[in-house]
Amino acid sequence: MMQVYLDNSATTRPCEAAVEAMVKSMREDYYNPSALYAPAMRGEEILKNAATAIAAAVGSDAKHVIFTSGGTESDNLAIFGHMQLNRDGGEILYSAAEHAAVRLTCEEAAVRYGCVAREIPLTAEGVIDLSALEGMLSERTRMICVMQVCNETGVIMPLKEICQLRARLCPKAAIHVDGVQGFLRVPFSMKQLPVDSYAISAHKFHGPKGAGALVWREGFRFKPMMIGGGQQNDRRSGTENTVGIAGMGAAVKSYPKNAAEHMRALKKQLVDLLRPALPDMKVLGLDAEDENSAPHILNAAFPPVRAETLLHALEAEGVIVGTGSACSSKKGKHSHVLTAMQLSPAVMESAIRFSFCPENTQEEILYTADAIIRQVELLKRYVRR
Amino acid sequence: MREILQVRFGEIFLKGSNRPYFMRMLVERIRNAVKELNGHVWLSDSRVYVSDLSDMEEGIRKVGKVFGVHSLCRALELPKDDFDAICEAAVQLVEDHHGSFKVNARRSDKRYFMDSPAINMEVGHYILEKRPDLTVDVHNPDLVVSVEIRDQAYVYTRPIMAVGGMPVGTNGRATLLLSGGIDSPVAGWMIAKRGVSMSAVHFNSPPYTSERAKEKVLDLARTLSESLCGIKVHVVPFTDIQMQIHEKCHPDYTTIIMRRYMMRIANAIAHKERAQALVTGESIGQVASQTMQALTCTDEIADIPVFRPLIGLDKVEIIDIANKIGTYETSILPYEDCCTVFTPRHPATKPKMEIILEGESKLDTDALIQAALEGTVVYDL
Repeated sequence: MMQVYLDNSATTRPCEAAVEAMVKSMREDYYNPSALYAPAMRGEEILKNAATAIAAAVGSDAKHVIFTSGGTESDNLAIFGHMQLNRDGGEILYSAAEHAAVRLTCEEAAVRYGCVAREIPLTAEGVIDLSALEGMLSERTRMICVMQVCNETGVIMPLKEICQLRARLCPKAAIHVDGVQGFLRVPFSMKQLPVDSYAISAHKFHGPKGAGALVWREGFRFKPMMIGGGQQNDRRSGTENTVGIAGMGAAVKSYPKNAAEHMRALKKQLVDLLRPALPDMKVLGLDAEDENSAPHILNAAFPPVRAETLLHALEAEGVIVGTGSACSSKKGKHSHVLTAMQLSPAVMESAIRFSFCPENTQEEILYTADAIIRQVELLKRYVRR
Repeated sequence: MREILQVRFGEIFLKGSNRPYFMRMLVERIRNAVKELNGHVWLSDSRVYVSDLSDMEEGIRKVGKVFGVHSLCRALELPKDDFDAICEAAVQLVEDHHGSFKVNARRSDKRYFMDSPAINMEVGHYILEKRPDLTVDVHNPDLVVSVEIRDQAYVYTRPIMAVGGMPVGTNGRATLLLSGGIDSPVAGWMIAKRGVSMSAVHFNSPPYTSERAKEKVLDLARTLSESLCGIKVHVVPFTDIQMQIHEKCHPDYTTIIMRRYMMRIANAIAHKERAQALVTGESIGQVASQTMQALTCTDEIADIPVFRPLIGLDKVEIIDIANKIGTYETSILPYEDCCTVFTPRHPATKPKMEIILEGESKLDTDALIQAALEGTVVYDL
């Protein structure tokens, strides 16, 4: 039986280069990067190399890369860190598509620092509603949090337009971008877009779990959350996770240049195979061929087949897919994002997320499409009576 | 002097000529429970003793869960000839006590140089000398200091209540229909408590149920396994049967017909396991398939008795027991173990047998049961 992994937005398999770099850092370069003796420089080297690779990928500078434990910590650091310095009752805005690591952090910041947290609505396609945002921005706005790519629908958010609105209506407000699903897979440069902070997580691009980074722009003010030994210029104390950082750096460097093109072709292939066979299928978010739809995420609903049932049926055929986002799919509630898109419960309950990686092949997609078509045809006969 | 566990049993006392058999089984069960703690278990003079436990607290927990044990207490064991040492031990046990006490001596060794009232007086006197702040109250004492003179002397204070019941294996075998819910583990535990060995049947419906849901059921069985002295779980593939019922039978009757197929399969597995009864977690009126009429329709399938120990209990009472036996936390984990696709919107609460039989006549029952039994996977936990 073929094994096909199509839940790469939940996590990815660490690439060989990352595994090798991590093993080497554990076996040979295990020294504390802060120590004074010469071998410690090897640990420092790991940090420098990874920071340089990440900075190069987003048009920033290595000195503006802070290593963290992952996407959640990076989001927390940017939001709590910045809002601690803005305790004047201003507003923090976040899109309705945000991951809980941003959404709940904004709500908590409101409680802790006396600001007001407001949710920016989405259009029916799951894109941030720019006209609504325009009406929400004012001199009271302190921070805007928007994800680069929606983890559930794969919608690429209009960051350029948001930056323009900010420049016009609230030039002092900071913009934090959660780049966890976009980094390396969707073009992004802090040279072109004046966003203030950008969060990434290594395990989403074939690096290890437990490693991530926050890239920040000169002038972005934030207080550290971790206090201690003063590592990373006092911005994030704690001995650096050199093993994870080595893996993350190697994963950035070895991420294939043509990945987006390859994955977009696979996504199109899957939709093209499914659409004629399953006319009831609904692609959620932007159409698969829309240029603002990320190349690696496809969310499709197959009503009346429940997503959980189809997921397990595909699992039995060796095809691993996701429902909603893996972090929240055990909670048994409707997806926050799909609810904000005002989809019907029947569609939400049958939504499956396919997320691709550069290693997926056309043969895998053929096999997957065949399994989906067979299983949906079978399972749709059994609806509650 | 050393600290040991003294174990008392309840109902076994009521047994007549086969009492030695029950005693042997109880000792065996206790021995098994404390095996990992290197406990030494022996029977002497109508009491079971456990010594050399590597962890006393854990030993108390484990022995307290053995069916057949009524109560147990930590006792100080010492040579009975050294009466001063017995008195010293009694003082040691009242060290943290304030208020009144009494001494309660028993002497199974009738040749002992003092009789029970004399022991009471001497030990009581000794305690009062050392602890003048305490008082004696022979009617309503705050603490009873017990002294038993047997092969050795045993001094102890508070007994700890244990689970009761009868040693597992002394009252035959039964097969439990085990779901991932709150009720069925409790039902299995209650019947096992009466000394019945238990095997279980679980119906699995992939892809409508997940691997996690199955793992949850196995976790429940693992929790029960300690009290049940091991349990075999038969996991039966049930999806095909559910699909066929859904396609061919009256929509309001799918649940009751499904229950009848579960009974058929459980009955067959019970025969294989040489079990003499089936056990279910049903309680009158809890859901549509548990009305008296529905229970009658499922009952007639089995050719062995169906025990329903929860039949008269409310949900809160069942939850209380589930908490006590440690299955509740696992039972409420959210993985579905019965997809709503197969749950009728309007289940028949007063099912008519002719509609059931008419539905079942459209199914190839023998072949379905055969296939389910062949696909069954057994987990020995």
